[in-house]
Amino acid sequence: MAETAEDRLVRMLALITYLENHPSVPVADVAAHFGVTEGQVLLDISTLWVSGTPGYLPDDLIDFAVDDHEQNLLTLTDARGMDRPLRLGPQEAVALLVALRSLQAMPALAHDPVLVSTIDKLRAAAGEAAGAADAVDVYVGAEDVGERLTALRSALADGKQVRLRYVSGSDVVSERVVDPLQLLTDAERWFLYAWCHRADGVRQFRLDRMLEVTVLDSDAPAHPDVALSERTDPELTTAQWHVRLELASRARWVAEKYPGAAVTDLEEGWFAVELDVVNLAWLHNLVLGLGGDVRAVHPPEVASSIAERAKAALDAYAALDGTGNGTQ
Amino acid sequence: MSERVEPAERLLDLVIALANTPHRMTKSQIRRGVNGYADAKNDAAFDRMFERDKEALRTLGVPIVTLTDAAHEDDIGYRIDTDSYDMPPVAFTPAEVGALSLAAEVWQDSTLSAQSRRALTKVRAVSELEDAALHAGLALRVRGPDANFGALLDAIADRITVRFTYRAANTGRTKQRTVEPWRLYAKDRGWYLVGHDVDRAAEREFRMSRIVGRVSRIGEPGTVQVPDRASAHREAPIIRATLALRPERASALRARAVEIESPTAGAGSAQSSPPAQVPRPSDRDVIAVDISDLDLFAEELVGYGDAVLVLDPPRLREAVLARLRPAASLGGES
Repeated sequence: MAETAEDRLVRMLALITYLENHPSVPVADVAAHFGVTEGQVLLDISTLWVSGTPGYLPDDLIDFAVDDHEQNLLTLTDARGMDRPLRLGPQEAVALLVALRSLQAMPALAHDPVLVSTIDKLRAAAGEAAGAADAVDVYVGAEDVGERLTALRSALADGKQVRLRYVSGSDVVSERVVDPLQLLTDAERWFLYAWCHRADGVRQFRLDRMLEVTVLDSDAPAHPDVALSERTDPELTTAQWHVRLELASRARWVAEKYPGAAVTDLEEGWFAVELDVVNLAWLHNLVLGLGGDVRAVHPPEVASSIAERAKAALDAYAALDGTGNGTQ
Repeated sequence: MSERVEPAERLLDLVIALANTPHRMTKSQIRRGVNGYADAKNDAAFDRMFERDKEALRTLGVPIVTLTDAAHEDDIGYRIDTDSYDMPPVAFTPAEVGALSLAAEVWQDSTLSAQSRRALTKVRAVSELEDAALHAGLALRVRGPDANFGALLDAIADRITVRFTYRAANTGRTKQRTVEPWRLYAKDRGWYLVGHDVDRAAEREFRMSRIVGRVSRIGEPGTVQVPDRASAHREAPIIRATLALRPERASALRARAVEIESPTAGAGSAQSSPPAQVPRPSDRDVIAVDISDLDLFAEELVGYGDAVLVLDPPRLREAVLARLRPAASLGGES
């Protein structure tokens, strides 16, 4: 994604402040510190070098030591008074403070001392802008995964393998040994992103579906080629099913919740949503949960398999009432 | 120079000029003097460019003040208030910068994501290299709020009433709502506004994604009374659900059970719950699970089909049946 002018401006100003306090710093260190490429740092320096106060004569410009520059070291020699750290904008302070407080709402980090001190200091740094953050809350799912989370965190920290007894969305129990890579939450559920030795690939596991978590003594091998997940939504590249649902207006949240869903408005508030589905069991659960808010499912074989499951359940309820103790 | 000046470079030169000007700079001085503004083809183009830049800088926290000359009142001048430019001196430890960079990754797909990354850059300017080890491997990803988040947050801070068009969840119809905004929150991947609905004279919650178009402000700032958080927060009561499970099925539910009774594993286990009048199927295991949201739990249970049946409470059972009945006719041949 192309960087905005605002993002680049903020970094260039930050560079002046940073370089003022760090003479002769290698370009590579600056790049690592700000999380950008060395090429980007050099581009920023070139722009800074021709910037300054109106007139733009040599004495008006921000200046660097040329000798150092040739050795790929950066030394600022004239900051034109711009070496002071720019305060946080009100929305910037809110964005970071709410994010920190959300992290604190995660069971694993509820009493994390570093988070507490970071929030205190950020409030001090933000000044009055911090107040607006108090009006915003993020609720992180408080499902009972605390013990599993603690075990998986320690496995991650120590680089150990883990044995999982896991129940899938289609209610199948399996046992597998995995190399944990990342713990991820979307504030509703927790996921473990791990290399699964049974599947011989990366898989995502929901913590609330883990029946047993055993941290093993064996070291987890490194997986340098695996890119960590940016999001908790399943990868759709492996989707085998393309499904169309006709939903009542009440079920708008389905379109909102699953990114990439194509929506067509129908008459009287009904709408159609098209989804790429990796796992049919997931779709069954979604459609059955929606109940009367679904009026049609395509393709038809998917619709009838869902209907079969619903009928079987209704039959089981009927049988249950029939075998009652005569009280009903 | 015939080459156009990049916006980031023009903004940088504007900041340096306005921070270094001894008194103030008028618009015409800026247009003539500051690198990049000569690119504007005419007066209107210059005005648009300058207004946009000024607004962008204020959003970034750059304190631009307006000064009028006593002799020429139309002649507005600008400079940066260097006293309020600085971030207060705060020393973040490497571990704390690590926590901030974890926080900057929280937001997805929203302006909050860009804003938190910019805030992190500003903190890094006065910090040593971060130590990310402490929270390695942990990540929180929250879908960022919708377009009106900033406007609503500003309205809350200014304690001013807002008005917007809202699409009702159950009918899909849109209606104008007038609300005294109190708080915003994210839950289950959605963003909500909590406030006092003026027309209904009651507290209401609004899903922000159902707000159609923009939020506008009504009345005067400083008029909204935000109630105490403690009184506004409600805890959902815990409901105990009794379920009949097919043997060896629904392991995820079994893992959450507070009580398990297995008729197939010997009849000796005496239980006080479920209520005695509920029929007890002899071929199923009976478990009890504590839940807080009945409808959400019903949605989850339906997915198990005939492997999980609700024995109690009747309300949960009815919620499950109400979903099964229409689903049973989905095949079309009913």
